[in-house]
Amino acid sequence: MVTPTRLAAVCRARDRLRELGPSAPSVRALATDAGLTTTGFIRIFAAVLGETPHQYRIRSRLEHAKRLLAEGELSVTEICFSLGFSSLGSFSHQFGQRVGVSPSAYRRRLRRQLGTPGVPPRALTPGCLELMAVALGGPGTSPG
Amino acid sequence: MRIKLSSIHVDDQDKALAFYTEVLGFQKKHDLPVGGGFRWLTLVAPDGHDDVELVLEPNANPAARAYQDALLEQGIPITAFEVDDVAAEHERLRQRGVVFTKPPTAAGPVTIAIFADTCGNLIQIYQPPG
Repeated sequence: MVTPTRLAAVCRARDRLRELGPSAPSVRALATDAGLTTTGFIRIFAAVLGETPHQYRIRSRLEHAKRLLAEGELSVTEICFSLGFSSLGSFSHQFGQRVGVSPSAYRRRLRRQLGTPGVPPRALTPGCLELMAVALGGPGTSPG
Repeated sequence: MRIKLSSIHVDDQDKALAFYTEVLGFQKKHDLPVGGGFRWLTLVAPDGHDDVELVLEPNANPAARAYQDALLEQGIPITAFEVDDVAAEHERLRQRGVVFTKPPTAAGPVTIAIFADTCGNLIQIYQPPG
């Protein structure tokens, strides 16, 4: 059972794990804030949110990276360091593992799909029914 | 008009597909790429009508994420599924590692329980009276 207090602590920790940049809090510090041992905190976080705090932080950064790659203004290197990755190699590796392609390949693919460099993020936040129209192949639509 | 779709936002479509199929027993119906790494991803429930689909939407839209975050923080479930036996379902899910924020509890004529779906939501299950 997760009490309301524990649930609130998990949510607070999650907000902090979304912080970008190299000075984001450690998992141990988040556990202390939640009044839990590190192991206990990781267990309850993973039970509620389906991944460990560490995994959550990486996924959050990679999603931000995708948005920045779509916007087209920053280089891959600039994106890497602004998000708090320790090296271009680790960023590219983690991105490739989870997204399936390198950051540069992802950017190129997006440009081909959307046809416009610097496409604003709004275009990547589809609404439910727009998705359905594209997926089920209405006239004038093109699937990814 | 007919209601054929019910949709919830999830923080990751892969994670959601795994939880809803492997743990909750839903069956995948549509899984089609729509660009940007997103999919039109729908499931049908293990019991009941198989032409009503649950859509697992990405929450990339900041408005969707803000709404989802707020509900979770407040302990409010994003949707509710009917079950025949809430106590049995609670026990089955607990054995599978699912964490509950509310155990089977009488709420007027129904019995409810609330669990985390690992994708940023709380889900309520309820057993109707009789």
